[in-house]
Amino acid sequence: MTVLDWRTAWAAVVVHPLFSVALTLIAFQLALMLYRRSGWLVLQPVMVGMLLVVGTLTLVDLDYARYREGASLVAMLLGPATVALAVPLHRHLKRIQQLFWPIVITLAVGGVLSVVLTLAIAWALGAQMPVLMSLAPKSATMPIAMLVAEQLGGLASLAAVFVMLTGVIGTALGPLLLRWAGVDHPAARGLSYGINAHAIGTARALEEGDECGAFAALGMSLLGILIALLLPFALG
Amino acid sequence: MILKGLTWLVLLQLLGNLINLVLLPALPGPIIGMLLLFGLLLLRRSIPESLEKTAALLLQYLPLLLIVPAAGIMTSGSALLDDLPAIAAGLVMSLLITVPFCGWLMQRLIRRLDLKREDQA
Repeated sequence: MTVLDWRTAWAAVVVHPLFSVALTLIAFQLALMLYRRSGWLVLQPVMVGMLLVVGTLTLVDLDYARYREGASLVAMLLGPATVALAVPLHRHLKRIQQLFWPIVITLAVGGVLSVVLTLAIAWALGAQMPVLMSLAPKSATMPIAMLVAEQLGGLASLAAVFVMLTGVIGTALGPLLLRWAGVDHPAARGLSYGINAHAIGTARALEEGDECGAFAALGMSLLGILIALLLPFALG
Repeated sequence: MILKGLTWLVLLQLLGNLINLVLLPALPGPIIGMLLLFGLLLLRRSIPESLEKTAALLLQYLPLLLIVPAAGIMTSGSALLDDLPAIAAGLVMSLLITVPFCGWLMQRLIRRLDLKREDQA
């Protein structure tokens, strides 16, 4: 066989839909391994996996549309996974009932403040409309933020990156800021982690304790729903 | 077991999509599906085992599912780079305020509720 034959064959393999599936699976597992071995919250599997995929696609010269088509087998499950978020939410039902009003008030005031402040600052510094619309749902957990951004005329992928950045920055600054503010109640710390740093913050909250973790998960899911329900109406 | 749970999730999403198209264009189909499932669980008062297992599996691999849409950043990277200072300032400055504020507010409200309950007791 000549070199050219191998190249032609390689080109055919790259455009096979399973190439995209394999690339996604491998990138995810590598990213997960790196995250677990290092223990760094900054090395989010989604972010590292995404970087690996983008790097490989650039290297083998495959465009995103082609990749997305091939990997739709994987991405298709995102919808059912979003529906499944109702299950952990239902599990926290007792805690929601116990502290119903503190949770509702903090979520409403904190959630609105977070969205308004972010948009106001970014807008004042000259960010463009599609960027703002992708920035708006950044406090929601990623699948929700992506869906809402698209609904608002933003970009799902940009929203995903903002959610990751928010989680990483919020988790890095969180312990320090909460100490300054004199917040030591585990439920209050947890809810703030959940509202401001969603899944990554929830991981950090779980390290602080069970109650803290549960309230972070609660804050994350409830704010996600609130954003999904209200943001399209508020900005639409 | 897993298939049964998955069937429910898929059917609820499809129902959500249907409602999205006909009644509620502002809410994404999967979100409507999630609300429907939450409502069903409230009525049922417990989580069926098949659903519990499927949900745990799917949510465990949520980062994997998110990689595909996140890689779309390839096509919108320039928008990100153009507005990077504004985005970074917006994200960091709002977090500096909202993280301590949310914690402080929640703590205050919990203490007030505790005091009220003590008064009643």
